[in-house]
Amino acid sequence: MQVELELFGALRGLEAEDRLQLAVEGALITDARAALQTHAIGHWPQAAQALLRSCAFATASEILRDPQPLPADGKLAVLPPVSGG
Amino acid sequence: MDSPHFVHVAERAVEALDPAAALEFVSDPGFGGITMFVGRIRELNHGRRVTGISYDLFRPLALARFAEIAEQAQRDVGPALKLYIAHAMGRLAVGDIAVVIAAGTPHRDEAFRACRAAIEAVKHATPIWKQEHFEDGDSAWSEGCSLCDAPAANVPATDVAAHDAEHEHEHEHEQRDCGGAHA
Repeated sequence: MQVELELFGALRGLEAEDRLQLAVEGALITDARAALQTHAIGHWPQAAQALLRSCAFATASEILRDPQPLPADGKLAVLPPVSGG
Repeated sequence: MDSPHFVHVAERAVEALDPAAALEFVSDPGFGGITMFVGRIRELNHGRRVTGISYDLFRPLALARFAEIAEQAQRDVGPALKLYIAHAMGRLAVGDIAVVIAAGTPHRDEAFRACRAAIEAVKHATPIWKQEHFEDGDSAWSEGCSLCDAPAANVPATDVAAHDAEHEHEHEHEQRDCGGAHA
């Protein structure tokens, strides 16, 4: 399915308007992660590729783990390690 | 019934966080204990002079997490609790307030525990990122805690606080790999 990824934190600036459309083969979060990692290898600097490995995926209401299904609307946020406060 | 909790994200260009409003919100005739944590932008980080910090948030999920944190605090310390959680967004200067947590309860112990657990969860398990701006013109996103490790909602806040007390954002993080099969 087609997913729309929104990038945050240190991933900002890597894509126009911090958004990215990707075709994902599979129906799980792990499949979206694999598609994004493949994209990153061709387009992102090494540090961002490395950061991606510790990023979480989420909808507007919850963090989704790798074995969980992709959301029906295909909209996902890519969340680098957090540092609030 | 009105919620006993208040959660908010404040765009710095529009408004400043207000500790007095937090104090007012958690006040109650039945509450003899109020605690508050106010986080401000300090001028030094790792020995480098900071001119400001930009906070990025995934606002809808951050607000959802704040509400979950408040619900968890209620489960931990009991129903007699008012909790206030507000975080700033956008570019802040040294001295600006980045976060305000306030807890009101009948007695001091629950107020301290709820406030401590809430600030640790906000720092370590909420989609917020800070980019520090240094005097030399350089900027850097802070390393942080992977949300792949975020505690489940049913972990007692006291356990989270005990873990997080050893886990200040003052050290290099060994970043975990979230990717499983695709690592």
